[in-house]
Amino acid sequence: MGEIMELDAVADGEPATPAAPTATGVVRVEKVRGRSAVTRCFAKYPLKIIVPSKVGSASSGAVWLYSLTYGGGIVSGDRISCTVSVGDGCTAAMTTQASTKVYKAVGLKCSEQVLEATVGKDALFAVIPDPVTCFSTARYYQKQVFHVSGSSNLVIVDWFTSGRYENGEIWDFSSYKSVNHIFLEEDQPLFIDSVLLEQGSNCSIAERMQEYNVVAMVVLLGPKLKHIQDQMQDEVKNMMSVQLRPPTSGGGRYAARPQPLPSQKRPPLIASCSPFGHMGTGMVARIVAVSTESVYNFLRDHLAALEPFLGAAPYSAS
Amino acid sequence: MEQDHSASKKMRVDDAADAVMTEVPAPATATATATASSMNQQLFWSQWQLLDSILPTGGFAHSYGLEAAMQSRVVNNPEDLRLFLVQAMENVGSLLLPFVYCASKSPDAATWVKLDQLLEATLTNEVGRKASTSQGSALLRVATSVFTEIQLLQDLRKTFFGSTSVSFHHAPIFGLICGLVGFDSETTQRAYMFVTMRDVISAATRLNLIGPLAASVLQHQVAPDAERMVQKWRDRDVSEASQTAPLLDALQGCHAYMFSRLFCS
Repeated sequence: MGEIMELDAVADGEPATPAAPTATGVVRVEKVRGRSAVTRCFAKYPLKIIVPSKVGSASSGAVWLYSLTYGGGIVSGDRISCTVSVGDGCTAAMTTQASTKVYKAVGLKCSEQVLEATVGKDALFAVIPDPVTCFSTARYYQKQVFHVSGSSNLVIVDWFTSGRYENGEIWDFSSYKSVNHIFLEEDQPLFIDSVLLEQGSNCSIAERMQEYNVVAMVVLLGPKLKHIQDQMQDEVKNMMSVQLRPPTSGGGRYAARPQPLPSQKRPPLIASCSPFGHMGTGMVARIVAVSTESVYNFLRDHLAALEPFLGAAPYSAS
Repeated sequence: MEQDHSASKKMRVDDAADAVMTEVPAPATATATATASSMNQQLFWSQWQLLDSILPTGGFAHSYGLEAAMQSRVVNNPEDLRLFLVQAMENVGSLLLPFVYCASKSPDAATWVKLDQLLEATLTNEVGRKASTSQGSALLRVATSVFTEIQLLQDLRKTFFGSTSVSFHHAPIFGLICGLVGFDSETTQRAYMFVTMRDVISAATRLNLIGPLAASVLQHQVAPDAERMVQKWRDRDVSEASQTAPLLDALQGCHAYMFSRLFCS
């Protein structure tokens, strides 16, 4: 990965911007001598931001930001809040090194992560983390707000798992809420998404999710990503249409069928894509899957085309 | 506190006439009383008409993702259907009731436009989004023809027909119409939940998942669940709107991928 420039303290001597007084992290990416460069990077406990100077080929000129937490997870009551600004014409990727663990809740205390990002004209910002894994009883709240212009390009991967499901801890957290908002110039809502899973009154999360352990969302927005959107839409359509078929009619269907026949096995990964925005400038894919590995494969395959922009293919090392 | 509040609300709305009356200012004279009571009687007829499946809003064309859930073998039998229905209703409660509530609370053009645009950005699933706009515009069309006495509906149709700035999503239109007709906001929200339940169950019978008699039994059985969800999600601001059924959402998005299908969504 090359030499690492670690900036986990106030690097430039400035206080946090007045707009974000409680920010635990501030990053600014700007054009310096024609290349994307980190001109400001501040992070304080429990957040750490690492900026490796070389990820992939140098020709891409993209900046990679690794967001880490001390101890590899977020404890109950922690609040991480990060502000990122990607200047006009710049390219930046923000990722993690492993899944984000959300530890057991202490009382009713929540663990929170907030990201507020501005993406400039003709800029590209890719938020491509590993999944969030909430331990049993955990409470997690995440909010990501993106301000974009008509020519900005944005990739968001937002995903979470049922917990440490290999150890039998399946959909056992108390609550998970993830909010993703994208606003176009002058605060026009372009994409307003909020997913909430909480142990509930009418049915448990496990009942709702059945055998599926992973929920993922991929957003691709902007003119530079049009071909990747089209390709993903075609491939997902082809993959899913062979899995969907009307139930074979064997007499009436009024009778209960407690045991699905082997041929009635459900797809291990379900995905669907939808365009959004006035001219269909954006696309969102929703994925649910039985295994984390299958989602890593999906992301690796479908986001590989980002390599020319980012200098490395997302999730290639995972 | 919340408990007490909802319990008292529940008691009150058991008598629909009372619920409706609370929205009408106390009349001062006997004539006013008589007028108010005849207005309330008229309200019943409007209420039942709006909730009747005969109202041509095209609800019968939508399965809320049930058809895709069947074709992917997530729903195979009446037990699965019940779980599906409860989740679909919860999702409507958490995602759409805030839009119904806010529109019914301030039934004016400016609020409605804002809610419609926000919902356009919120319904990120294309299948669900199109189902919402086709049912919403059909409902507005029907309501403008039926409730000719409501000037705002006529104005809305005139001003925004053919406009690209609004999409005519179902939940805000429903809230707006109920608000203008004179429903109180709790009745409006319960009515929206009822319409969802009715349409999913109706789709299930046409998909041959359940017979018509068993469907009626199911509808009665899930009514307490539906009421719990109305109480849980009612009177919330649109900033709280969330989707709570990621599996159903991904499945509903698959609707367009099916080679053969009965429903539009």
